[in-house]
Amino acid sequence: MLKKIYKDFKNGLWKENPIIVLVIGMCPTLAVTNTVENGLAMGIATSFVLISSEIVISLFKKLIPNNVRIPSFILIIATFVTFTDYFLKAFFPDIAASLSLFIPLIVVNCLILGRQEAFASKNPTSRAIADALGMGIGFTWVLVLLSAVRELFGMGSIFGIGILGSWYEPMVIMVLPAGAFLSLGILVGIMNMIKRRGN
Amino acid sequence: MDTKISKLVVTLSVIGIISAIALSFVYQWTTPFIEKHQLEARKQAVRSVLPEAEEFQEKIINGITFFEGFDSSQKRIGVAMIAKGPGYQNIIEVMIGVNLEKDYIFGIDVLSHEETPGLGARITGQQYRKNYQNKPFGDYNVVKRTPQNDLEVEAISGATISSRSVAKIVQDAVKKINEAYGGGV
Amino acid sequence: MEEFRVVLLVFISTVLINNFILVKFLGICPFLGVSKQVETAFSMGLATTFVMTLTAAATWLINTYILEALNLPFLRYVSFIIVIASLVQFVEMFIRKSSPVLYKALGIFLPLITTNCAILGLALLIPLNGYNFITSVVFGLGAGIGFTLAIVLMAGLRETLEFGDVPETLQGVPITLILAGLMAMAFMGFSGLISI
Repeated sequence: MLKKIYKDFKNGLWKENPIIVLVIGMCPTLAVTNTVENGLAMGIATSFVLISSEIVISLFKKLIPNNVRIPSFILIIATFVTFTDYFLKAFFPDIAASLSLFIPLIVVNCLILGRQEAFASKNPTSRAIADALGMGIGFTWVLVLLSAVRELFGMGSIFGIGILGSWYEPMVIMVLPAGAFLSLGILVGIMNMIKRRGN
Repeated sequence: MDTKISKLVVTLSVIGIISAIALSFVYQWTTPFIEKHQLEARKQAVRSVLPEAEEFQEKIINGITFFEGFDSSQKRIGVAMIAKGPGYQNIIEVMIGVNLEKDYIFGIDVLSHEETPGLGARITGQQYRKNYQNKPFGDYNVVKRTPQNDLEVEAISGATISSRSVAKIVQDAVKKINEAYGGGV
Repeated sequence: MEEFRVVLLVFISTVLINNFILVKFLGICPFLGVSKQVETAFSMGLATTFVMTLTAAATWLINTYILEALNLPFLRYVSFIIVIASLVQFVEMFIRKSSPVLYKALGIFLPLITTNCAILGLALLIPLNGYNFITSVVFGLGAGIGFTLAIVLMAGLRETLEFGDVPETLQGVPITLILAGLMAMAFMGFSGLISI
């Protein structure tokens, strides 16, 4: 059992990484990764919603009839997202302001609904927690890596602290929409290469 | 079939009701904090554009709310207002504080915006806002170099539209303040 | 006249300047997933435009006459997603009954639209922007057309790319993302076109 749980956890980190391998949840991945702070906050918020809804859904999976499965999942997810939104607005107003629209959009992040459908609705709670943790961390680390690359080249800083001195002329394109697509494309390409080497 | 449909409806309704009840508690719990932040942010904004004022009073003229700032001897030293206008992506909200005796702007503060992070979003930064410190009233010119006269505003590199939008909002707000307070009062 | 001007500007700005996919990052999943062929991309765009316009109208009414009138802002996300899901279901049933041809073209895309974040994003942007009813509907229509434009252009590029010699590492998702980046750069050129 423990071995299984560990396997579920490890799954999301690399082998079935939501962003690099499954290519889901792309909207927040591209939109909020202009600074490391935003990327990290988005990763944590998404992971929280993912973990809470996987727990609830795996606990009550037997009570939910099959034909209203998806609407029920979406309702539960939307509830947790609203909670997260109000919580951030109340206690971390700056983060809430900079992520603005993309907190409510966690509702339709395909990653969350996808995991409920593929995992939480079929497996015991303990394994669902492991899966959610793995997927959440897998999602977060790619967000942080991508945002670090974009912030470093786009603004010459990490976490808002200047790393590259004043000699560095920031490549503003990196923090713009175009830079998001380009850097994620190159990042996924590099990951593909590493993967192929590994095989 | 009927029992099945009723079961579906019941399941969804139960989830919906539980969710609504839970969220109404969350709403009640967090609202005071959210309102406190908003009030605090507003006070902070008034203070940052009327730095010498000790007390504030709200006053509504022509349907616009103005914040009048008084110093310790109850003398009115300036007036602030919140102005809104279109930016690059969406509406920008700016607080502006002016000295009515000498016809210049004390300073501005950007309250809310949706400009591009890292570019247009730098309208909130000290470097851009400094443009408006102790600035005489008038029609502003946004330039892409160091300003050479009092009516020029230095644009943020890569965010000329945002820079221009704020200049326009400030310019219009000053006119509204002048209208409400009758010019040289 | 002033009203008309605002509506027109909202329309142009949503189609080109604040394009949902290339500037606002809304609706990336179908943009990457359903952009292999121009024909299917166009059908997807059409279905999305249809749902978006209806969503804009429906959520505006609900937000104004229920959520704001009864002071229930905390139910916004939950109620919007229910409205969208039911709307998609309804549209699917309606098209299946009324036009089998159209159903054949759009059918498989309709269920996917519920989790297209462009739709919920649209519903959430309307109260944020404070649009009135007509402007909201035009905003929805513009967002849909902008979405269709981006996804069809992308499909055109990818069809041509079939014959290109793409490095093995970049095949699939990476090259699509890089293409999208180049398109986003091209769309940046529109940003000075008009000021809202």
